[in-house]
Amino acid sequence: MQTNPLNENQLNQLNQAAELKKLPIAKLISLFENRSEGTAQQRHDIIHHINNNPKMFTGKGVTIGFTGTPGAGKSSLIAELCKTLTKNNDLRIAVLAIDPSSQSSGGAILGDRTRMHSGSKNRNLFFRSQASNLELGGITHNTFQATRLLRYLFDLIIIETVGIGQNEIDIQYMSDHTFLLMQPLAGDQIQFMKAGIMEIPDSFVVNKCDEERLARTSYHMLRASLKQSKLIILNAKDNFENAAKDNIFLTSATKNKGIQELAEFIRSIQRNHLNEDDFNENNLNENSQSKGKKPKDIESFYLQKAIQELYGKFGLGILSQKHDSLKQLSGYEEKIAFATTAIEQQILRR
Amino acid sequence: MTEPQKHQITDKDGNATKDRPWIFRTYAGHTNVRKSNELYRNNLAKGQTGLSIAFDLATQCGYSSDEDIAKPEIGKVGVPINTLDDFAILFDNIDIAEVNTSMTINGTSMWLLSLYVALAEERGVPIEKLQGTTQNDLIKEFLARGTYVFPPEESIKLIVDMYEFCLTNVPKWNPSNVCSYHLQEAGATPVKELAYSLVTAITVLDAIKERNCFDEEEFERCVGRVSFFVNAGMRFIEEMCKMRAFTQLWDEICIERYKVKNPKYRRFRYGIQVNSLGLTEEQPENNAWRILIETLGVTLSRDARCRALQLPAWNEALSLPRPWDQQWSLRLQQILAYETDLLEYPDLFDGSPVIESKVNDLKEQANAEIQKIMDAGGGVEAIKNGYMKSQLVVSQADRMSKINSGEHIVVGKNRWTDGIESPLVRDSDGGVFKVDPESAAETVSALAATKANRDDAKVAECLKTLRETAIKGDNMMLASIACAKARVSTGEWTATLRDVYGEYRPPTGVEGQSLSIENETLDTVREKIKTFMDTRGHRPRIVVGKPGLDGHSNGAEMISVAARHAGFDVIYFGIRLSATDIVQSAIEEDADVIGISLLSGSHNEIMDQLFEELDAEGAKGKVPVVLGGIIPQADAEALKEKGVSAIFTPKDYDLMEVMNRIMDIILAHDAE
Repeated sequence: MQTNPLNENQLNQLNQAAELKKLPIAKLISLFENRSEGTAQQRHDIIHHINNNPKMFTGKGVTIGFTGTPGAGKSSLIAELCKTLTKNNDLRIAVLAIDPSSQSSGGAILGDRTRMHSGSKNRNLFFRSQASNLELGGITHNTFQATRLLRYLFDLIIIETVGIGQNEIDIQYMSDHTFLLMQPLAGDQIQFMKAGIMEIPDSFVVNKCDEERLARTSYHMLRASLKQSKLIILNAKDNFENAAKDNIFLTSATKNKGIQELAEFIRSIQRNHLNEDDFNENNLNENSQSKGKKPKDIESFYLQKAIQELYGKFGLGILSQKHDSLKQLSGYEEKIAFATTAIEQQILRR
Repeated sequence: MTEPQKHQITDKDGNATKDRPWIFRTYAGHTNVRKSNELYRNNLAKGQTGLSIAFDLATQCGYSSDEDIAKPEIGKVGVPINTLDDFAILFDNIDIAEVNTSMTINGTSMWLLSLYVALAEERGVPIEKLQGTTQNDLIKEFLARGTYVFPPEESIKLIVDMYEFCLTNVPKWNPSNVCSYHLQEAGATPVKELAYSLVTAITVLDAIKERNCFDEEEFERCVGRVSFFVNAGMRFIEEMCKMRAFTQLWDEICIERYKVKNPKYRRFRYGIQVNSLGLTEEQPENNAWRILIETLGVTLSRDARCRALQLPAWNEALSLPRPWDQQWSLRLQQILAYETDLLEYPDLFDGSPVIESKVNDLKEQANAEIQKIMDAGGGVEAIKNGYMKSQLVVSQADRMSKINSGEHIVVGKNRWTDGIESPLVRDSDGGVFKVDPESAAETVSALAATKANRDDAKVAECLKTLRETAIKGDNMMLASIACAKARVSTGEWTATLRDVYGEYRPPTGVEGQSLSIENETLDTVREKIKTFMDTRGHRPRIVVGKPGLDGHSNGAEMISVAARHAGFDVIYFGIRLSATDIVQSAIEEDADVIGISLLSGSHNEIMDQLFEELDAEGAKGKVPVVLGGIIPQADAEALKEKGVSAIFTPKDYDLMEVMNRIMDIILAHDAE
């Protein structure tokens, strides 16, 4: 894929986006979400331009994922967190909230703004709804694409998934740190483990802990479940006051409890991330927070997903043959263009 | 003395007699306190026996007339009340010791009652003589009407405060009035109307019981103060059965749940406003018949007859009614009560196996629904998790689908639509009522005068006490009455409590909902959406916004559900948004169209604000804006000149046709 210099309109739009003007950011997100032909070249050019002008684009967006059953209060919690995190006006935050699309019509009702009370003129907070587009996995291809751009503009990208299910595991590939949100004493902790869900999160949030008694019981129950499953290294003794050391947070979005602590933790994740150097798209998959898990290779994950959608197993086979050549290329659009051409050639040769 | 016959009603001496008519009311109030006072005195002179006060939306939501958010709404759907000085004018030359005053007020009920009590005390009227009702049903506000102010728990707390205060101090006052009226307007079936309003009553009474402020006898009297405000629609036989079911269910709840021994305190006391939802913009003269038929449902059966009745006006789907329109509805009540023999008979339906079976069926289903909600944590929980709200949206979507398919016949709307134009709408004023824009200035300057003349130190002290009382969790009535006397304003009282209690946005109920419409128009719309997606690479995105204080969200909800059904991605986030909220959101979402819904009559002012905001963001003309609601034909041209691409009114009931037109607008805009 060739690389073109940006035209004046594109440059203008991108520069205004860097100043966090909302209209150009919104238009750029739409370009990154756009799946029609011809747009890949523009995305490729834009990412190329950004990587060549690192001083203009100062975001080093850390991606924070929130997943959990519908009704656990993800939107309300994120709303409270954003209020706290934007208070000092020193963090630039983008929120992507995903809602389910209708099976029959393909349309969706995107209602996360109800809790968010977003839509303010504050440039440091940008909120965008996304429809799940009927993809399994909870995080859509659109979220991946939007994140590619937003990470150069914002310090934090907060992703809210549809709601956890057997297939909703993509969030772990997408985010630098994943929180699993649960309700207190739902009694479904064991259920989660059976579903393999407990392996996803880096941290746990028990929300709706309106009273301390509820928070304490929930903490001890969750900790017991985690200990049994040996999925995460527990640091603290079984001590409610030190729950954060076990990466367990007890919050109440409505009573504004535990929000400050969680916000501080997210800030520390963001600060740690800043210390990493060499920030560009080619090492998107390196992840400082993965605690001994296999590297989260988001780009090849979505490459595989896209190829599978278009060409099925046949396509995936060729993709793995081309593994070494792909490694030489820079940028998602270039890789997918290369893979597509390779597969098309094979089809023609048959 | 002759032996009474079965068709006669007898008095205590055994002589044949007839019943007294119900209380005749007209829901009224507009412009400002001076104009509304005139109106009330005229209505009382015409033979009306009670006052039913409509407040403007700012008063209902707790804002003073001098606040920005209030300005487009001053005097539109009711009278604006800022301070006790306003109340003195509103009730000028009206004897508040005699008149029965019903106030349609909810989020700020405690404030308006405090003003009424303060007015009585300043006039030297003993407050135990005051009689009337504050509507004060917050559950239905969260579900259907939208003038809530505080979160659910705090809202219930204030209601309990009022019951506690009134029982001993203002014993003839109904501190709250459980409303099923608005539930039906929001789409509730008779079963849901029964269940959700009874759940509301249970929620309030359980909270009173929990406070443990009354002994057994007092609690019985307190149960006796609970009254209801019910709706009656076109299926008038079923509606009559619903009223009988209501009466019986309430009696059972009072006996079983609250152990009320005295039958007097178990009586189901209710007032009625008949249904507006079924009134049509098309051939509006037909609504006069609809109102009459709906009235029969709540008057025919003596055992389930309403105690007070107010009727909508024939032209409500067009705009706010004029005094003449209201008089016409009042005359209907008078003719029914005085010209006919309706009030001479005992219950006409006792012993009818048909009625009994229907009543039992309704009761059984309602009981099951009540049980379901109570098992899941009760009324407050069912608000917070959105269960009741989504059930209402389901029913409304079902109703709309049936009207669209013609399965549900509405004369003049989807059948027999051709007719001779009504001379009633050919008046010089277009058959609609307009608020004089100059009158708002009078309200604002009266408030400024009060503020200039009051003792500021006293105001500050009263507000401080109010805040401290709220933080402590004590009863708020006395502190509120003190504020009233100190000439604290509606906005100041509310802002103080808002600061302590916080604000709340309830679930919208639209998520995951769909329609059952499958027709050619839907296919056409989906074809156009496909064309759009092929060129633009994404689904069309619509931001549906309800700006301002108007909480009537049915329209916005149905448009959201219909748009999803057609294949749009829909961004809808509830009521009471500012123009900034909507414009900023539309920009962030890169919306392809903005849909605004407005029913309060403030469309001209609010659309100005919206276009100013769009302009300031450099987005005016970049995204088309469509408008829906009660928009008089006379305003249409000016709105289009401002930049509105299309206007939809109640006669655009064919939801897919609406979507089709919106898609055309998006595609045409794209082509430019």
